[in-house]
Formats: sequence, structure tokens, C-alpha cells
Amino acid sequence: MSAANASIRDALYEAPGKRAKQRIAIATAVSVAALAALLALIIRQFYISGQLNAKYWTLFTRYTTWRFIGQGLLMTVKVALTAAVITFGLGFVLMRGRLNPHRFVSGASAALIEFSRGVPTLLFIYFFFLAAPQFGLKLSSFWRITLPCAISACGVVAEVFRSGVNAVPKGQREAALSLGMSERRTFYRIIFPQAFRYVIPSMIAELVIVLKDTTFAYVVNCADLMQNAKVLISNYDALVSIYLVVAVIYILINYALNKASDLLARRPNRRNIAA
Amino acid sequence: MSVVDLLTRFGDRYIGALLMTWRLTAVSFIAAFVIGMAVTVARVSPIRPLRAAADFYVQIFRNIPGAALLILLVYALPYLKVVLSYYACVLIATMLIPSAFCSEYLMSGMNTIDMGQIEAARALGMTFFQMIRRIVIPQALRSSVLPMTNLAVATMLTTALASQVPMNPTDLTGIVTYINTHATVGVMAFVISAALYCATALVIGRVGNRIDRKVRIRR
Repeated sequence: MSAANASIRDALYEAPGKRAKQRIAIATAVSVAALAALLALIIRQFYISGQLNAKYWTLFTRYTTWRFIGQGLLMTVKVALTAAVITFGLGFVLMRGRLNPHRFVSGASAALIEFSRGVPTLLFIYFFFLAAPQFGLKLSSFWRITLPCAISACGVVAEVFRSGVNAVPKGQREAALSLGMSERRTFYRIIFPQAFRYVIPSMIAELVIVLKDTTFAYVVNCADLMQNAKVLISNYDALVSIYLVVAVIYILINYALNKASDLLARRPNRRNIAA
Repeated sequence: MSVVDLLTRFGDRYIGALLMTWRLTAVSFIAAFVIGMAVTVARVSPIRPLRAAADFYVQIFRNIPGAALLILLVYALPYLKVVLSYYACVLIATMLIPSAFCSEYLMSGMNTIDMGQIEAARALGMTFFQMIRRIVIPQALRSSVLPMTNLAVATMLTTALASQVPMNPTDLTGIVTYINTHATVGVMAFVISAALYCATALVIGRVGNRIDRKVRIRR
């Protein structure tokens, strides 16, 4: 799928000889047949269960369907981006805490990071949904999905930031300090800007995780893509087609984000210092 | 509700839930590993359609949200005349998604192998499968212990999907909603589940680190 993988993939064998060519041809034919059979089986299953019937698919020719899907998608994006902004903030604070010379601060930050990374998003969601209202924390459904998504991702974000900071060559800090910059100024002016550039691809990949977590919005009745799909299903009585289309939408968005992350990671960055 | 109250009333359920989470994690992780390995072999095979299909598989399951996959398995499959138990649906979802990531980690593990080794193996007259089995897979595995450790933790987190379907016993996330239907669920109920999750993640991390220290290839 990517250029980096292609290298080892193609190094494993050189131009095949006559016999190998024959065998590859046979294996290709067999695997094409097997894949075709699998596809045929799936289509047959759709056919005999009547799911290929036009009434399940014509709804996608209507403008209103797509507008409704679009509204849900907009909410999904809104939740994901808000959660991302919060999680980057929290992750930054946790990273600063983790790198703090005081043992208590760094220990507490490390514990919070482990907690965030070790607990499933759904448990955070149920916490804000079921337990938080008991002590007066009444949130809207938007925040009930956004906050848990942010909290659940911030531990990983903190560790990614930290790995970025550690990747900045030591000489950078030493040079800044010897020029008379304070530790604080050194961090914000010299170290973090470089660290941030290192971790941009990982941050985009993290966005995928946040976006995936937002699909649990139906738990708290937030009108995101998944929830709107449910409404469409009850309107049109077409469950299979709608859920399939929605799943494909999610896959395409995440695929695009991952692709962008890959491309950025491989981009030759001339402004990076040659360490 | 105090911790003592909680444990006397729901202690057995917590043990059942913990075992369920462990079971789902272990079975899914092992299955994901086997599938991931097979998919990876297909992805490096010289058979083009197989490669393409395996790449497609990885992109699908790497990018689909767990909830979307589980909903398809639970609600859409019966319309296609495939009826699976809730447990089976959860298990399939929690192993297909990690299997895609497993393949990605193995692929990047493979890229750490020096080309010279492949050339040497070929010069010795090894066949493709000999080379895969003797040279590529052992090294790819050894350099991907830490990603695999993270994958095991990620698999554990994915098993929280089990709380979205009725199951008995339920998992560590599902038990919170169970308690909520039988009593007022307090903060403590969450703390216990969260602690058990974190402890499990910690143990997985420790074991992974130990294995990594033993097998890592120092270059």
C-alpha cells in the first residue's frame, strides 16, 4: 500500500524464471477464482435475501437523504475536531507534566497518561452519561461524547508529544541555553516547534482514532452520522444498505486521513536539522 | 454506594466481567495475530490479485470504526440470512480490526530487515516460502514485539464493544450499565472497572517489555 512497504515486497523475489512464472500464473488463476467465488457468494446472499431490491437503494438518489447524512457527518466532524483540540491541549499539559523535573509532578502525569491509555472510551462515555449527572455535572449530548473522546485520546497524544520532544537533538537545547535563553523560552521557542513538526503525522493518525470513537455518539443520543443513519433506517426501512453506506463513508474519511499522515511522514523535510 | 456494598452485591459479577474481558482479549488477540500473519504473507506474495485483496482487507478493517462493524454484524447480517450469536459478533469485530493493525506492524517489522539478507537467502537457493519462514517472519516478529504489546492493549480496549450487546456474563464496561439498571451507579463502580482495565494493560505491558528485551535484535 505504501512505497516503504513496496521495497521489501519486491526485494523478496527477482524476475521469475519459466517455471516460477508458470506457478505464479496458476496461483493467480486459483486466487482470482477463489476471490470471485467469495464475491459471488456475498452477492448471492444479498440477492436471495432480497437486499438488492431497488427499494433499498433508490433512497440514495434523493437529495434529502444525502442532506441528512451530510448533517450527521457535519456533527461527527464537529465532535471529532472539538475533541481533537481538547485532547491536544490535555496531551500537551500531560507531556509538560511528564517531563517536569519534580518527581511528584512527573509521577502523577505518568499515572494519568497510563489511566487514559488503559481505559476504553466507552467506559469514559458511560461515566459522563451515567455517573456525572449525579454530582450535578449536567452536560449536553454534544459534550457527553466530545469530552470522553478527548480524555481517552490525551494519554497517547502526550506520549507522542514526548517522543517528538525527545527526538529534538540535545545540541539545540544546549545552544539555546548558552545563548542565554531561559529553560522556558528554550522549550517554547526552540524545542517544541521542532518537536511539533516531527509529530504532525502521528497527530493526524490520532485524529482517526478520535473520529472512530465518535461513532459511540448514539449511546448519548448525539445526532452524528451514526445516529442520523438510525433515523434514516426507521424512515425507509432499509437497514443493510444504509449501514453499509455509512460504514463506507467512515472508511473513506479515515483512509484519506491515514494517507495524508503517510504522505507527510515521508515528505523530505529540508528544514529539519540534520541530527 | 460504598466499595464494600458494591463488592458484596456485585463482586461475583465483577469477577465474571473481568474473566469475560480477559477471554475476549486473549481469543481476539491470538486470532488477530494468526489472521494478520496470513494476510501479511498474502501482501508480500508474488500473486497480484491476492496482494490487492489483502491490501484491501487491511484498509477496510484498519479504517472502519468498531461500532460500525459491530452494528453491521449484529443488525445487518441477519437480513442477509446469517445469524450469529452476540458473543460471536463481538469476537469477530474484536479480531478483524486488530488483525489489520497486526499486518501493518508486521509489514513495518519486515522493512527493518536488511536487503542483503534477502539476497543472501536467495543466493543460497531458498524458495519463497523458505525465505519467508526462516528469514523474514522470525525477524519481523522479533522487531515487532512492542507494537504487538500495544496491539494487545488496543485489543483489550476494543473488547469494550461487548457492552453494546446483551451478554451474560457481560464485560468490564457492560457491568457498569448492568449495575445502573439494578441500583444507582456511583463513581466507585467505574473506578473498579477502570482499575481492572489499567491493571490488565499494565500486566500486558510488563510481559511485552520482558519479551522485547529478550528477543530484540540489536543492530
